Parts: sequence; structure tokens; C-alpha cells
Amino acid sequence: MAMSNPGNRVTQGQFSFLPELTDEQITAQIKYALDNGWAVNIEYTDDPHPRNTYWDMFGMPMFDLKDPAGILMEINDCRKTFPNMYIRVTAFDNTHGWEAPRMSYIVNRPPNEPGFKLQRTERDGRSMGYTITSYAADKPEGERA
Amino acid sequence: MSKSSETMAEGKERYQAGVIPYKKMGYWEPDYEPSATDVVAMFRITPQPGVDHEEAAAAVAGESSTATWTVVWTDRLTACERYRAKAYRSELVPNTGEGTDTEAQYFAYIAYDMDLFEPGSIANMTASIIGNVFGFKAVKALRLEDMLFPVAYLKTYNGPATGVVVERERLDKFGRPLLGATTKPKLGLSGRNYGRVVYEALKGGLDFVKDDENINSQPFMHWRDRFLYVMEAVNRASAATGEVKGHYLNVTAGTMDEMIERAEFAKSLGSVIIMIDLVIGYTAIQSMAKWCRANDMILHLHRAGNSTYSRQKNHGMNFRVICKWMRMAGVDHIHAGTVVGKLEGDPLMIKGFYDTLREGYTPMSLETGLFFDQDWASLNKVMPVASGGIHAGQMHQLLHYLGEDVVLQFGGGTIGHPEGIQAGAIANRVALEAMVMARNEGRDYMNEGPEILNAAAKWCSPLKAALDTWKDITFEYESTDTADFVPTATGTN
Amino acid sequence: MSDTENATAEQNTEILPEGASVNLQEEFEQSQVQEVLDKLDRELVGLVPVKTRIKEIAALLLVDRLRRQFDLTSETPTLHMNFTGNPGTGKTTVALRMAEILHRLGYVREGHLVSVTRDDLVGQYIGHTAPKTKAVIKKAMGGVLFIDEAYYLYKPENERDYGGESIEILLQVMENNRDDLVVILAGYKDKMDRFFESNPGMRSRIAHHLDFPDYSSEELEAIAELMLSDLNYQLSADAKKALHDYIPLRMKLPHFANARSIRNALDRARLRQANRLFADRNKSLSKSDLTTLDAEDFLVSRVFVEGKLDGDPADGILNPVSMDKTD
Repeated sequence: MAMSNPGNRVTQGQFSFLPELTDEQITAQIKYALDNGWAVNIEYTDDPHPRNTYWDMFGMPMFDLKDPAGILMEINDCRKTFPNMYIRVTAFDNTHGWEAPRMSYIVNRPPNEPGFKLQRTERDGRSMGYTITSYAADKPEGERA
Repeated sequence: MSKSSETMAEGKERYQAGVIPYKKMGYWEPDYEPSATDVVAMFRITPQPGVDHEEAAAAVAGESSTATWTVVWTDRLTACERYRAKAYRSELVPNTGEGTDTEAQYFAYIAYDMDLFEPGSIANMTASIIGNVFGFKAVKALRLEDMLFPVAYLKTYNGPATGVVVERERLDKFGRPLLGATTKPKLGLSGRNYGRVVYEALKGGLDFVKDDENINSQPFMHWRDRFLYVMEAVNRASAATGEVKGHYLNVTAGTMDEMIERAEFAKSLGSVIIMIDLVIGYTAIQSMAKWCRANDMILHLHRAGNSTYSRQKNHGMNFRVICKWMRMAGVDHIHAGTVVGKLEGDPLMIKGFYDTLREGYTPMSLETGLFFDQDWASLNKVMPVASGGIHAGQMHQLLHYLGEDVVLQFGGGTIGHPEGIQAGAIANRVALEAMVMARNEGRDYMNEGPEILNAAAKWCSPLKAALDTWKDITFEYESTDTADFVPTATGTN
Repeated sequence: MSDTENATAEQNTEILPEGASVNLQEEFEQSQVQEVLDKLDRELVGLVPVKTRIKEIAALLLVDRLRRQFDLTSETPTLHMNFTGNPGTGKTTVALRMAEILHRLGYVREGHLVSVTRDDLVGQYIGHTAPKTKAVIKKAMGGVLFIDEAYYLYKPENERDYGGESIEILLQVMENNRDDLVVILAGYKDKMDRFFESNPGMRSRIAHHLDFPDYSSEELEAIAELMLSDLNYQLSADAKKALHDYIPLRMKLPHFANARSIRNALDRARLRQANRLFADRNKSLSKSDLTTLDAEDFLVSRVFVEGKLDGDPADGILNPVSMDKTD
């Protein structure tokens, strides 16, 4: 079963409401990052929980590149290695006052996105505690996809 | 410190009982050069007829620092020359005075020693700078245009509780403006119905929904009901999309204690952000900023009330000064204009506000109304919020004028969508993502904007409906607050 | 990034109809390749056969570009090259200009040159080489990857050498990413020939072989003059004569590296000049004193005195400036 939101998918990242990005579109976005002097990193995960900050790095962030082709090559390697995982491209800006990601967009998704479970814990009065868990992370790490 | 004997009376003469002109009391020092530890204020002064503009500037300096209307011998028990504010420059405002339709106005620069102000207190600083002096008879009208704060003084403030960078990291949202909407109608919805609007808008694709400035705890909706239903909506939407979602829960209340109580409740429900109104006052704002810093909370400020003193050009204060004070006071969001929407805003002036909120260093730029080189001393950046009469069809203009680090609030533009709130949210998010993508691809998105939107509308029917509904809506009025130094086009386009 | 960037790349994507015509001269002017060829002429003395080959390659690519416009070809031609020749014969400089020409003709997107040797590509442990080679390739993408002394990648005597892994990756990229980068291998001719014998895959992917001849002594003199004028030095008449005598002597000695040896000789002469001026430091100096190298600045060289190389530790003060100890 797909997720119930309008696109039936996890909507993290800059371009989740647009049709899947083509390689040309991905390349243009990487070019924008490189022209800004940002380092580009490829990350993947099987647990897209909104607070799962640390997706695994597919190699080190790529510094000092002039051209997007090498990064696209890595993206395609990563897709080949982890076809059933979420893969995102992140661009890091090291200038003073930022020193943080400036771009982040998803370039690969699992064919089936099971989404998240919302658990409610009733507390004092009508107060409620909320916990969100990924269905995808229900199984132990070693037994997933 | 340099003293000009022509302007300042010396020794005995200066401290004789009675009334002498402010210039002679030492508040006018044309040779003075502000030191690295001076706070400098720039006022627009309209002197009373017959009052010399330098005397008016000296009077403003005097009244906003140590002076009273008459000479006091107790001055001599202090290092009074240090504490005296010094007006050191006064010049005619372009396009005012003889030969124009406007009576003469003067830009007066006044330097204040940092020791005049308690560290880390906006209230204390403003009690001097915009205190009694604004009712002072010697000036017909007075407007605080800009202020320069030395780094040493800025460092006595914490600045924004979260800041643009950490807000983005917490929300896991990068590289695009954030999207918000204010729940409508402003007043009258029950908590349960109110939460419905929040759920639909967030699930449809917005990042934030917002309480209106005057939604606190009224008979139709007690604040706790609102908080409970809203957080149910926020968490449901978050689970449905996999995104961090938020709702600015307005904690504005009659007393500080009540505000803290509401903030604590918002935190206990897991909200990422709370909201206050400018009308709660500078001290309350600083207190809430400290609370937010201690509780991992983003702080949204609605600028309710500012137009009572920021809109008219000759009296009050410029909004850019509010921007500076609020960055020091520590808010994370502030409504700062849309350029193209329904509220006041000249594009260049708004650029000045946005730069003041977001840059690490703002150089003097008269055309955007910045009169000083301001080093922000690494205070966090504030996220400006653009709200009021904007819609998806203006996305290219919004991105062009306001940039990427801004919350675009489409209230009517989301909730008024003919196919429903979710559809409204989808339209806005698709328009936004398509425009950011086009910009990054190097397209001339400002000119090709309508084309880019129409292309996306081909596969996104909610966007098509939005464009059709609001295609002719623009707000073209003259701005009242424009730059003095360059003739500028105002309004939209 | 080059200022002519807009004049290149994807400008010719439209397919022209059958009856259309194009003007080769206009295309050539538009590409601004002549500027690069002129620059090469100014920078490098002699090398006529190399320069001729470069012009031929430029012509070939220009025609290829026009053929694409008529949809007569669509494949990116193989552009990988092999530069052979002794050290100091201008291979790196030509590679830089080649990158610029390829960029102006739209065959590489950025036109930068990434120059590496074996150490930059090959790791010392298992699993180390692939990321290293890939990182270099990613940096070179959009431009030219220049691998100096490429034959050291292949060390058949050591079974456990990781160089082969690097070659494998390079081969793949040279085949699959022809749009993304051009590889230029460089080194001594004989060693490169042997390398290709053992790595036929590599040979088959090289489209252009350029051989860089040694410079004649006259050319080396001209190079010396060029180098000195770049540095705001000049030779006295006697010094000219001394250099003229020096060069053939130096050419006969071991480790001769063409222009590089000339550069080193000039560096030594500058040091000697400085010491000569310093020894007489009470004298006031004219601009000409500061810019002129004298015969004695060359004649004390061991090349003259003992028929040996300079740069022996016994040379004391003359040592530190030496760029190349064996020279």
C-alpha cells in the first residue's frame, strides 16, 4: 500500500512534488551546486524517518569538482548498489555563517514506500504524546530489502 | 574627544543656572568621529519653524541622552562629556525643503557612548533612543531611520534562538523557500475545525501553518483546545508525508506567566515552533527568545502594530530598525514584507529589511535605506516571512525579490483554492519547486516565470486551477516608505 | 573558467537540412581556436611537428563538428592522446593548450587540466586504489586528465601491484565517458611503447600520438631568452656567448632535460649574479645592473670548469637554488 499524501510518496527534499528528475535535470542541479563552490555528497537509507538525520554516505563528500559528470557517475553507482533505498544528493556550503547543507533532493526511492505509523500515547487530561515510526524500519537492519 | 569652542560654552558659563541652547551645552560636535564603541542613531528631523536644524539635532541628542530642559549642577559630578550624546552631522534630506512640496527635513547622526545602555536590554536602549524625545516640542516630527550597533554591544545579545541555518537543519528542508499559510477565517473557528485546516494544508505540501496574530484564547476557541487539535493535525501530516511539519502556536497572552505556560504546553505536545506578537513588548520578546533557546524551539514573531509607527515617512521609526532590534532580541521569524502582496512594501526598502535580517555584514547602501556598515557579530540569521495577498502565480517574482531563505505564506492562496485546501497546498508547492529548479538550471525565471508555471500546470491540475483563479490579482499602490536617495519604481512587476 | 565559454559547447545541437551550407572559416573564427594556437606559438619555441599535429587535430574536430550539424555523425570521437618525448620538451604546456582548444571546440565542458602521476592514482592497500582513481577522474571530468609517466601504472614484476586496477577503471571511463573527459598519457617514447605492448586495450583507445622532439641548441637559446625576458632579466653580450657555449656542453652531460635544464641553468646564473652584486655591496646599482646577467655568472659553472654537473653538495652556496639536484 502506498502512502496517502497527494504524491503517495515521502516528500522530503527540494523536488519531491515534481516528476522524477531525469539525469539531465540532476546534472543541472549538481552544476548549480558546483558553480556555487559547494561540495556534493550522496547518501542512502532504508529508513526515511523525518528525524533520521544521518543517512549513510556513499563515499566521501566530493570537493573541488568542476563538472557534474563524475557525481552523476557516483549517483548511478549508488542506484545500482542500492536500488531499493532512498538516495539523496546534498550540497554543503562551507562559507562563514552557513557551514551547512544548502541543497538536498531525492534521486532514488524504493518501488514501494510504506510510510510511517503514528503512535499516540494518552497523557494527562486530553494531552497526547506522539511518536512516528517508519514501517520500513520494522524489521532488523540486516533483514530489510 | 574634540570640542569646538564655537559651539560649546566653556566652564562657568556652561553650568550657570538657567536655560541655554542644546548646541551650547555640548550636544552638537560637528568634528566628532564616532568611536568603535559608540552606538549611532540616524534620525529624520523636521524642526519646528524657526528652529535651526543643528540646534534641533543637538536637542534630540540631548533629550535622548543626559540632558534636561535646564542646566543642572549635578552634571559636574559625572564624566558628563562622555555620557552626552553627540550630534555630529545634519544634512538636508533630498527632495525636501525650499522648492519642493515637502517641508525641510534633516538627517541627523547622533553618537551615544555604549555605556549609556544596559547590556542585552532592548528596553533600556529604546527608552533612550525612542523615549521622551519623540514628544519633544522643538521638533515637529521625528523618525528613527537607522542605527549602528558596535560589535561589542551586539555581543551582549544572544540573537535568534535558532537562526536560519539550524532551523533548516531541524526541519531537514534546504534550498528552497519554506511554505506557510495562516488559518482562515482569522477568528471564529472552533479548535476541532481549526485543526482540520492545519491538517489539510500540511498534508497537501506546506511546511508550516500559522495562527493569526489575534488568535489567542477567545470564547470560540480556548488556547488549549487549539494547541491539542493543531498538534494532532501536525503529527498526522508529518506521518503522512515523512516531513517535519509545524504550526506557529501563538502564545501571546495577557501576562508573561501565561505566555510561558502556553509555550510549555506547546513543547510538551512536540511543537517545533511557537509564535508571539510584536505588541507584547521588547522585554517579553527577549524573555520568550531566551525560553526558546533553552527549549529547542523556533520563535516566530508577527509584527502586529508596527505600521502604527513605521509607515509614515516623517514620524515614527523605520521598520529596518525594528528588524535590527528583533535580530538582537532573538526572534527566528519576522514578517518583513512581500513586495508584490497587499501590504506596504517598496522592493528596495524590503531588500534592506531582508539584508538586515539575513546577512552577516550589511554595507552602507542608501538605495536600500541602509545608512551604516553593520557587522552582525555572528548573530544568527532571522528568517523573513512574506505574508499578505500573495499567490502561486507570483512565484517567480517572490523568488526573485525575496530569495530562498524566506517563508512564503499563502493564506488565502491555499485555503481559498477552488478544489480545496490540499489542492491549494499542492499548487503552491509545485509552483515553488518548479521555480527553484528552473532558477538552479540557470533559466531567466523572472521573465519566463509564467511559462514555467504554465508548463507545470499542464501536469498539475491544482496549479492550473490556482493560476486561473488568481491570474489577475495584483496590488498596485504607491508605497509610502521609499528610498530618499534614488527615484524608484514601486509596487509590482 | 575561460571567458569564451559561451562560444562553445552545445551551440550546434540543431540538425541542418540537406541543402544548407556552412562556412568553415566562420566556424573557425567563431571557435577562437586561433588565439590558442597563437599563444602556443608564443610560449613554445620550435616544436614544429607537434604544432602541425595540433592544427591537424583542431581541423579534424572542426570538420567533425560541422558533420554533426548535418547529422552525418553523432558519436563523440575518441580524443584520448599519447604525448611522448624526453623531459622538458613542452608536453605539459601543450596539454594545457590542448585542453583549451578542446574546450573552445566544445569537446570538453570546462577545459581544465588535472595533471597526475601514479602516486595520485594507485593506493597502497586493498580497496584503496579504486576510490583514489575515481576521485581523480571526478576532478578531471569536464576537462583533460594528464597522466605523466603513465607506464608506471603497470608493474608486471610485482604481482600484487594495484596499478592494474587503476588501469581497468581508466579504460572503462575512457570508453564510457568520452563526452566527459579526455585522457592524455605522457612519458618517454620507448617506455610508453612497451606499456602499450602489454596493455593493448589502452593503445586501442588512444586516437592521437604526438612525439615531442628534443630541442636543438639554437632553440634552447631562444627558450632561454624567452624565459629571461619573462623574468625581466637580460644577457650581456658576453653572457650570450657563454650561454651559447654552455648549452651544447650541457646537452652532452647526463640527465639533460631540455627546457627544464635551461631553466635550472638560468636559476643558478641568477643566484650567482645576486652573490656577485652582494659581494660588492657598497657600490650603488643601476636598473641595468639588477637585470643583467654577465658571462661570469655562467662561466663558473662546473659544466665549463670540470665538465661535470652543477649541484653537487660540494658546491656549497650554489646548492640551495637548484631545482633539480641531478641537473
